[in-house]
Amino acid sequence: MRTLLWAEHQKIRRLSFVWIAIFATVMVAVIVFLSGLTDNDGIRDIDTAGWYMAVAQPLGTFFVLPAVIALLGSYMICREEQEHTIESLRLIPVNEAKLTLAKMIITLIYSILFYLLLFAITLLTEAGLHFSDLSIGMVMNFLKAYILDGLCIFLAISPIIALVSYMKKGYWIALVITEFYSFIGLFASTSNTLKALYPITAVFTISGYYEASASQVILSCISLLFCVGFSAVILASMKKYK
Amino acid sequence: MALLKLIQIEFFKLRRRKFVWMMLFSALIMPFLSYLLFKYAWSTGGDPVQFYKWSAFGLTLFIVLPVVLGILSTMLMYNENQYDMLKQIWIVPVSKMRYFFSKFFVVLIYSICFMIVTALGSVIFSILLGGLALDWQNTLFLIRKCLEIGVITAFAMLPILAISTTQKGYILPVAITLIYAFLGSIIVSINMYIHPLSSMALIVARNGDIPGLNDTQVISIPLAFFSIFVWGIGSVLLANVALARRK
Repeated sequence: MRTLLWAEHQKIRRLSFVWIAIFATVMVAVIVFLSGLTDNDGIRDIDTAGWYMAVAQPLGTFFVLPAVIALLGSYMICREEQEHTIESLRLIPVNEAKLTLAKMIITLIYSILFYLLLFAITLLTEAGLHFSDLSIGMVMNFLKAYILDGLCIFLAISPIIALVSYMKKGYWIALVITEFYSFIGLFASTSNTLKALYPITAVFTISGYYEASASQVILSCISLLFCVGFSAVILASMKKYK
Repeated sequence: MALLKLIQIEFFKLRRRKFVWMMLFSALIMPFLSYLLFKYAWSTGGDPVQFYKWSAFGLTLFIVLPVVLGILSTMLMYNENQYDMLKQIWIVPVSKMRYFFSKFFVVLIYSICFMIVTALGSVIFSILLGGLALDWQNTLFLIRKCLEIGVITAFAMLPILAISTTQKGYILPVAITLIYAFLGSIIVSINMYIHPLSSMALIVARNGDIPGLNDTQVISIPLAFFSIFVWGIGSVLLANVALARRK
């Protein structure tokens, strides 16, 4: 398993895709910063300590980040087939279930890394603007929230990565599906129960962005576990299918 | 005539792609979601313009349509790039600008069709909603605005089409599409004239036609058109340079 993870890491290092994903994350930070410059009766949103770190999470998640992460995951899985490297891998032989698992783990790590990058940018900007207003407790809370965001978003989109890898019809359908999937989260957030149940918004219930009761958190955990179970079933049936 | 022929060929190529037809269904997402919102979440006084604002003028205009058009633009350019068809096309010979504009017209026609589907979806869901007072005047208003959105958005998406001519892959253009649409919706509250999509929103919502959109800013329609025009010209030039380099 360690060798597989190492090999996947080596492969992904050469991809320009990672740079594009970093570009997307940085742009999200820039755009949210711009939106903070709006004047509300003499006070700008960005002047409130913690506003930037709080708002960058949902905006980035509803519009850009999950789609980019889903694309990365499904691309890594599908490219072996499309570039005909899977035949050589089968010859070695590599256990395909383990290979897919290794790719999923790498996607999870990158998902957390992208959120941490967003966290780093927002934190540095906040520190530059009003350092004295930031407390260690607040920063640690946000750090925890961003790590949980990265982890849970991966869980929420894992069925899509699995499904696209199963369909083998070109991986960028993953991007389109995920984009709409996360976009609908905007609407799911208007109702309290739906907010806890819908996987994309459940992420925020767990990470602490939404104030939620214990029952809502449990509901969200169940919802995400359901996603993981669903993707595991798809990946397992993919193995049999071959 | 040559351009018409090229457009016809583009449509022949698209006909076989199921994905393009599937994307047309996403035009019904917002009408359906606003139907759910109006039915279960809010009790509004049954104002059709409010309903249309949600189903056709809000997020459809800022996010759904730009993202769909961006993906379509990338798809149109990606295929020929990937299979190295461009060489053969230049041998025919096809003029590079005609090639670019044939793709653009496909985007334009698709965009108009998409908004017509949205308009039809909105009308159907508003009928299902029952409580909305529907009359011809409101329906015509909806269709007129949808057509306007369809036409202008295609022009506002020219930069994405130009960027996809410069790339062999599709990942960068699609990532830029997401950012582009996102930026368009955010920048509305800061300066509407910088971004083609927010300029488009401004043109559509002129005279305060759509409640809640740009009520506070001083509106200059010519400046908005000028912004889209400048971005469009820039994109055509970029595409020209990029295609000339593709030997």
